[in-house]
Amino acid sequence: MAERIAVTFTLNGEKRSFQVPAGRRLLDLLRDDAGLTGTKEGCGAGECGACTVLLDGRPVTSCLVLAASVEGCEVVTVEGLGGAAGHLHPFQRALVDTGGVQCGFCTPGVAVTGAAIVALDVADPAEQARLLAGNLCRCTGYTKIFAALEAAREARHAK
Amino acid sequence: MPSKRPTARPVEGRRWKVEGPAPTQAVKSRESRVSASPHPAKPARPAPARTTDPGPRTPDPGLGPRTPDPGPLGGRHVRPDATSKVAGLTRYVGDLALPGMLHAALATSKVAAATIAGIDTSAAVAVPDVVSVLTAKDIPGQNLVGVIFTDQPLLVTDRVRMVGDRLAVVAARTPEAAWAAARAVTADLRPLSGVYDPVAAMAPGSPTVHESGNVFKTFRVIRGDLARARKAASVVVEAEYHVGGQDHAYLEPQGCLAIPEGQRITIVASCQCPFYIQHAVARVLGLSLAAVRVEQAPTGGGFGGKEDYPSEPAACAALLAWRTGRPVRLLYHRELDLQVSTKRHAAVVRHRWGADAKGKLCFAEVETIMDAGGYVGLSTVVAERANVSAIGPYDVPVVDVKTHVVYTNNLFGGAYRGFGAPQVTWAAEATLDKLARSLGLDPLEIRRRNVLDARKRVLCTGQKLPGPVLAGEVLERATALAGWEGFKARRPAGDDHLRRGIGVSLVLYGCSLHWGGQKLDRSSAVVILQPDGSVIVRVGLAEIGQGNLTAAQTIAAQALGVDPSMVQVWQPDTTTVGDSGPTVASRGAHMSGMAILDAVARLRTRLDPVAAELLECQPSEVELAGSFARVAGQAGRAVPISRVAAEMASRRIEAISTGWYHPPEREYDPRTGQGAAYEFYALACHVARVAVDPELGLVKVEEVSASHDVGRVIHRDALEGQIQGGIVQAMGWGVSEALPLKDGVLQNPSFTDYVIPTSADVPAIKIDILESDGPGGPYGAKGIGEPSFIPTASAIRNAVCDALGIDVDTLPLTPPTVVAALGDRHPHAWVLEVKR
Repeated sequence: MAERIAVTFTLNGEKRSFQVPAGRRLLDLLRDDAGLTGTKEGCGAGECGACTVLLDGRPVTSCLVLAASVEGCEVVTVEGLGGAAGHLHPFQRALVDTGGVQCGFCTPGVAVTGAAIVALDVADPAEQARLLAGNLCRCTGYTKIFAALEAAREARHAK
Repeated sequence: MPSKRPTARPVEGRRWKVEGPAPTQAVKSRESRVSASPHPAKPARPAPARTTDPGPRTPDPGLGPRTPDPGPLGGRHVRPDATSKVAGLTRYVGDLALPGMLHAALATSKVAAATIAGIDTSAAVAVPDVVSVLTAKDIPGQNLVGVIFTDQPLLVTDRVRMVGDRLAVVAARTPEAAWAAARAVTADLRPLSGVYDPVAAMAPGSPTVHESGNVFKTFRVIRGDLARARKAASVVVEAEYHVGGQDHAYLEPQGCLAIPEGQRITIVASCQCPFYIQHAVARVLGLSLAAVRVEQAPTGGGFGGKEDYPSEPAACAALLAWRTGRPVRLLYHRELDLQVSTKRHAAVVRHRWGADAKGKLCFAEVETIMDAGGYVGLSTVVAERANVSAIGPYDVPVVDVKTHVVYTNNLFGGAYRGFGAPQVTWAAEATLDKLARSLGLDPLEIRRRNVLDARKRVLCTGQKLPGPVLAGEVLERATALAGWEGFKARRPAGDDHLRRGIGVSLVLYGCSLHWGGQKLDRSSAVVILQPDGSVIVRVGLAEIGQGNLTAAQTIAAQALGVDPSMVQVWQPDTTTVGDSGPTVASRGAHMSGMAILDAVARLRTRLDPVAAELLECQPSEVELAGSFARVAGQAGRAVPISRVAAEMASRRIEAISTGWYHPPEREYDPRTGQGAAYEFYALACHVARVAVDPELGLVKVEEVSASHDVGRVIHRDALEGQIQGGIVQAMGWGVSEALPLKDGVLQNPSFTDYVIPTSADVPAIKIDILESDGPGGPYGAKGIGEPSFIPTASAIRNAVCDALGIDVDTLPLTPPTVVAALGDRHPHAWVLEVKR
C-alpha cells in the first residue's frame, strides 16, 4: 500500500482526522472518506467549479487540492454552509426562492462560491458575474443565480 | 418594456391573452370529466395565478364554476427539488454506493477507422484489483444497441467506425484499477482510410463506413412547381452554410449503477429515457423487459445527451454486473464524455431561395447534409425534424427540401435540444437577411411580409396551422422589446472601437414527436391519494433540470385543487408506470401533464361521490379548489380534501388511479413531406444585440430579447429558466463552442478548451411571454425547452453581420471565423495587401 499521511483539519466546524495516500485529492477525501457527497466532480480539472469548497474562507476547486495539504485548515462544504445541519445559508435560500436551481449538479459549487461573493459584499453586477465565472452552469443561463446573489446581498443589508 | 405593445384583439373569433390583469370573463364549464378515454378533455383554463397579488376574484356569474380558484398554475411556488439540491442532499448516481460494488471502465478505440485483428485483455486481467474484463463474446444476448436502427454493436468485434468504439469493459474494486486495466487492453487495429467530411462521404468512391453505403437516408419536402416559381423570382440568393456541432456539456458526466438480483436486474442511471435503457439492457442480456427495472437517478443535465447514449454505458455496466453478480457503477470522466458521447450534428446547408421585387418569398430550395458519425443513432429523427423545419414560420408556396443522413468516421451525431431545427433555422434566417439586403429591405420588414398569419397559415408541409398563428405577434413584440426601430435609426456608436449590430430570428417549433415517431408518443401516470390528503404522482417523463417534477406537481395540484406542497412527484421508474417514450422534443410537461389529468379524472369518478355525500350534494356539483371539495358556486359548503381522502380510506375505496394519453393520429406522406408532421406548434422570436471587435473578431452578445408563444404558463420560474438557459446555451453554440476534429478525434476534450459560456459572458435577457388559446397540452401549455434555444444563434449571427456589413456563413462565430469572413474588410487587411 502507498504510504499514508495523517491530516487533521476542521470540516464544517468539526475537528476531523484522516489517513490519506499522498496523491489523494481533497474532493475524494470529502466524498469517499467523509461521506460528504454534496461536493460534485464535473471535470476533475478545476474548470467547472462543481467541487468548490471554502478553504479558510476562500472558494477553491477541491479536485485541485491535495487532501494532505489542508492540515490545520478550515474546510466548509455545501453541507456546512448554513452552519447547523438543516439550516441553509441566506444565499442557498435565495437560490431556492429565485428559481436559480435546475439540474442541481453545479448548484453545490455555485452555492459555495455565491456565499463567498455575498460575504465580500460586492454590489457591482459585472463584478459579481466575474467572481462567479469559475462555476459553470449549463442549465440556468446564470440569470436567476444573479438574482439570488442580489437577494442575498439585500438580505444581508436588511439585517 | 416594449415601446409599442400590441393590444389584444380577436383572432378568428377567439381571444388570445396578453400579460396583464387576470381576465374578468368567467371560465367556462368543464363539462366532461372523461374517465377512460385516451384523450382526456382539457379542463377549462383558470385565471392565471399571480405571484404577488392575485387581484380581485371575479364573482362567478354561474357559467359553470368547476375551476374557480386560480390555483398554482402559472405561479412561482418553490420547485420541489430545489431545497435538497442547494443543500447538497440530492443523490446523483455518483453519490450512490453499495457494499461490494465494483467500478467499471471502458477500453475504447483511439482511432476512428480500422479493422480489428484481435483484442488482447491479458494485461488488463493482470492489473491488481481487477475482477472482470469482458469482450463481445461474453454478451449473453444480442451485441446491439441503437434506438431505431440497430447498426451499432455494444462491443466491437471486427471493425472500428469511430473514436470511442468499445473494445472491452472492465470491473475492478477501485475506479483507478478499472481505468488502468482499461488502458492496458490492447487491440491489433489495422487502419482503414476513413471519411471525415460528410459531403465527401456522399461522393462515389468514398470510403464506406457501412456496407450499405454512406447515405443512410434522405428526407424530402416537395411542394409546388419549382420551375415556374424560379421564373417568378426577381431576386435569388444562393448560399452554403457550414454549421458546427455542439457538445451538451451537462455538468454531470454520464453515469449508471447496475444491481443484479438473480434473474433480473435494476439499473439506476443519469438519463432522460429510462425506457430506452430498459429495452437496451434487456436486448443485451437476453432478458424480458419485465426483468429489467430502470430508475432514473436525479440527473445533472441532459439536453438530448442523455437520450439515447446512456443506454450504452448502462448496457456495459449491466453486462459486468450480470457476469460478476455484483453491483457495478460506471462513471465517465469528463475527457471521455466529451470525446465519445453524442453531439449535435454538424451540417452543411445549401440554399437557393427566391423572392419577388416586393420581398415576398417565391420558392425555397434547401439541401441539408447531416454528419451522423459512425452509427445512425437518432440521426433519422434529427433529420426528420430538420427536414420539415427548414423553411421556418414563413409562407413559401414552392418548396424543395432534401435532408440527408450521412455516415462518416466523425463523432457520433445525436439528439441535442432542438435536434436539427437549430441548424436549418440558422441557415434560413441568414438567407432571409441576405434577401433583405438584396432588396434594400430591413430584416424586420422582409419577415413582416412573409410570416404566416391568420390568413396565410399553411406550412411547407401543407399542414394548416391550427389555432391563432402568432408569428407576426412574437416578431413585433420581440423587436419592440429590443428597441429595433430606435437602434436602426440611431445605431449606438459606443465609446469604444466596437461595432454594434442587431439581428432577428424566428422559430416555428413542432411540439412533441414528428409523425415518424408517433408510436412512441404516449404517456402514463399514476396518482395515489393518501389518507391524509397528500398525493403521490408517478410519471414516465424524466426530470433533467428542466422542471418536469415541478410541472407535474403543478398540474396535479391544479387538477386536484390542493397546494403543490401536498403533491410529491417521484423520479421515473419503469416498474411504476407504462412506457411513456423519451423525455425529448419539449414533450415532458405536455405528455406528463395530459396523463396526470386523465388519472385525476379517473380518480374523481370515485372521489366525487364520497365528497358529494359529505357535502350533501350531487357528485356533478363537486369542485376541488383551495384544498377543499366544495359545492360548485357555494364557497361556504366545503369540506377539506384531506377529510374526503380519509373517508375514502376508511371505506376502502380505491384511491389509486392510472392515466394515459396519446395525441390523435395524424396523416403524413414521408415521400413528399406533406401532411401533419406535428400536432401543434410553438412560435418564438429572438432579437440579439451584439458588440464586435473588428480587429480580434470577438463577439460580445450584449442583449437578447425573446418573445414566446407558450400557450399557457405552468410554472413561471421554470419557464423563464428554460428561456434564459436556452439563450445562453445557444449563444455558446453560436459563438464559442467549436468541435475541431482531426481524423475523427476531438481536439479539445476538456472544459479548458471547449468553451461554454460562463457567468461573465451572459447578455441581458428580456423576456416577453404570450399566452394564447389554441391547441396545446395540459391547460393549453406548449413546450418551451427547445423553442427557447433555436432562434438565438441565428439572431446573433444576423446581428454580427449587421455590425460588420459582411456575411458569416460558418458557425460558430469564433474570432478566427469572423476575421476570415472580414477578409479585405479587416482593419489590418492592408498589412497583408502590402506584403503581397
